[in-house]
Amino acid sequence: MLFFNYKLCLHIVHLSVIRSIIYKCKQGLFLWFFSKLCMAQSLVSYEQLPDWSGVWQMNGSTVFDASSVQPEGGRAGSAGVREFPPYNEEWEAIYEDNMEQVSLGRFPDPLSICGTPAGYPRMLNVPGAIEFVVRPEQVWILTEDGPSIARIYTDGRSHPPEDEIWPTYSGESVGYWEGDTLVFETIGIKGKGDAIIDRTGLVLSVDARIKTEIRRVDISTMEAQIEITDSTAMTESWVVTKRYGKLEDGARMFDVACVENNRNPIDETGRTLTLDSQGNILDSGVN
Amino acid sequence: MITLQYRKISQYLAILLLQFFYPTAIAHHSGNMFDREQIVELVGIVREFQWTSPHIWIQVLVISETGITEEWSIEGGVPNRLFRSGWRPNTFKPGHQVILQAYPMRDGARAGLFIGAKLNDGSILGEFN
Repeated sequence: MLFFNYKLCLHIVHLSVIRSIIYKCKQGLFLWFFSKLCMAQSLVSYEQLPDWSGVWQMNGSTVFDASSVQPEGGRAGSAGVREFPPYNEEWEAIYEDNMEQVSLGRFPDPLSICGTPAGYPRMLNVPGAIEFVVRPEQVWILTEDGPSIARIYTDGRSHPPEDEIWPTYSGESVGYWEGDTLVFETIGIKGKGDAIIDRTGLVLSVDARIKTEIRRVDISTMEAQIEITDSTAMTESWVVTKRYGKLEDGARMFDVACVENNRNPIDETGRTLTLDSQGNILDSGVN
Repeated sequence: MITLQYRKISQYLAILLLQFFYPTAIAHHSGNMFDREQIVELVGIVREFQWTSPHIWIQVLVISETGITEEWSIEGGVPNRLFRSGWRPNTFKPGHQVILQAYPMRDGARAGLFIGAKLNDGSILGEFN
C-alpha cells in the first residue's frame, strides 16, 4: 500500500516538475508542492521501523549458495568446490577457469590484496560481524570484513539516470518497506576482475541487477533473500537465501584493517607469500 | 631448556580438525601454502604476539634438534572473531612457555597455521590434542 502511494506520488512529481518548468503555471507549482507533501508522508516513521539492532553474524560458511554446493558441505577456497549459478556457456567457462585458479591457490580475491571493500552482494556473504542500521530515509548495512558499507535509500528516490552510474563496490541501492521487510534493488556493482561473490570463484558482470529482501525471521535470526539477474552472465535469475544469527547482547563491531599487518602479500603470479615478523619472505625459492 | 618437538600426527586427525577449525582461521587469502595433512608441535617461548588485522601471529622461539634457536611464525585467525571466542590481545605473553600445534608450510619454512595451543597455566586454545 505504501509502495503504491509512493509510485503515485512519483508520477505526480515528474508530471508536475515538467509542467512547472515548461509552462511555469500555477497549476504546475501546486501539483509539485502537493506531490512533495505526498512523498514526505510516504516515509516510514521511526515507530514503524522494525528493530534490527544488535550485531549479527552469518550462519554457515562463506559458500554463497550452500544449498547447491558440491561436494556437500564444501568450503569456499578449497579445490573442487563449486556451486551452480545459471551461468551461460561463456560465464560457466569463466567460473571453471576461476575454480582451476582456486585449486592452484592463485585465484585473485580482491580482499587478499587489502584496501577494497567486499562489495555487494559479497558483503552479505562474509564471515565477520554485520550490522543493519535502520532509518526512515536510509538503511545502512555495515560489515567488519572489507570493511564494507551499503546505503539503501528508502526516501522514495529512483536509481539515478544511466549516465550517472558507474561500477562501484557497494553499487547503487534504492528500496522501500513492505511491512517489516526491506525490499531493494542494487545496480552499478563492480564485476569480474574487481569483485567476487565467494572464493569458489563466483563472479558477476557489471550488468547484474540484484533484488534483495531482508527481514527479521525471529528474535535471533535475520534473513536475506538475494535474487540476481545478470543478462550478461546468466540465462535466468538466481535466488540465494542467507541467514544471520544475533550475537550476544552488548557485542561490539571491530576494525578489520587489512593493511595493518598483512604478512601474506600476493606476488605478481598470484601466489600468496608468507612473511616473517621482520617482513622477510619465508617461502622457499622466493627472494 | 626449551626444546623443539616436531612430530607428524595422522593425516586423518588433521583432516578432522580442518573441518572444524580451518574455515574460521583464514579468511582473507589462500591457505595453499600450508600442508593440512601434517601437524607440527612446537614447544617454546613466546617472543611476540601480534594482535593485528587481518590475522594474528604468534612468534615463538624454539630450539631445534640440532640445538639451534629458531623463530617460528604461527598465523591465526582474525582478531575480531578470536575475541568473540575468548581470546584477548594478551592471550600469549612474551617470555611465557607455550606448546603450539600447527599445519606447517609445505616448503619447510618455519611458519604454520594455528590449530591449538596449551599455555603455561594449562589452559587450552583452539583444537589442541
